[in-house]
Amino acid sequence: MATSEGAGDHVQEATVEEPLDLVRLCLDEKIYVKMRHDRELTGTLFAYDQHLNMILGDVHETITVTEVDSETYEEMYKETKRTIPMLFVRGDGVILISPPTRA
Amino acid sequence: MAANLANIAGSRANPSTLLPLELIDKCIGSRIHAILRSNKEIVGTLLGFDDYVNMVLDDVREYETTAEGRRVNKLERILLNGSNIVMLVPGGEGPEGAAA
Amino acid sequence: MAAPPRTNPSDFLKELAGRPVVVKLNSGVDYRGLLSCLDGYMNIALEQTEEYVNGQLKKKYGDAFIRGNNVLYISGSRTRK
Repeated sequence: MATSEGAGDHVQEATVEEPLDLVRLCLDEKIYVKMRHDRELTGTLFAYDQHLNMILGDVHETITVTEVDSETYEEMYKETKRTIPMLFVRGDGVILISPPTRA
Repeated sequence: MAANLANIAGSRANPSTLLPLELIDKCIGSRIHAILRSNKEIVGTLLGFDDYVNMVLDDVREYETTAEGRRVNKLERILLNGSNIVMLVPGGEGPEGAAA
Repeated sequence: MAAPPRTNPSDFLKELAGRPVVVKLNSGVDYRGLLSCLDGYMNIALEQTEEYVNGQLKKKYGDAFIRGNNVLYISGSRTRK
């Protein structure tokens, strides 16, 4: 890091020195978020903090519910989808964040 | 094993001056059995730990008790997150030993 | 038999940097990938990440950030698939 105070503030280096850098590099990008309770989100990351609270825009949410057939014990997956224009995500529900896969 | 622990505690004038983490420190190099939240137990050789009782374990066995029975998974060396630990049992025979 | 040297969590993590690892979450899901870095909360950045549910490969991610509170353990992986 630069020794002079605040020198690095405006420079967003494309290096990942700590895990949160990976999230920083996703700002204004489409990201995938895996949440607890089988919820998945994709949306544009506008803001985040150290808790992984996030503001996402143009969000697609997928909720997966697993139902076990009581006779055949077959697992049935039921997906519910919706879109949300702007969303605040509380960090404690976050499991995983992945940037878009760059081809 | 229980006698050993009593000796460790009794080697002090006041047994309460043995801090819990000092006991764990004495377990370094020995097998230890960690009982976690969520029906999981882990047994391994304790190589080290930190203030949060995150632990490095070697020759690890991971036991998961479910309705169908007990699943065992073997691992070489792991860093176990301390936040899931409920209890630590020095000696580490694992769930089989405890049941016997 | 010589006793193995004391290895604290921070020592172990230094050994693992850049290596293939398995990260197991409390939910039972496994992530296999190359360890980019990690912080004091056990937040983890992985590269070439594969998600295994019940031992079966479910998904791949180029990079992945895993929030530390979900992590059960991190293990070095010799058997990179």
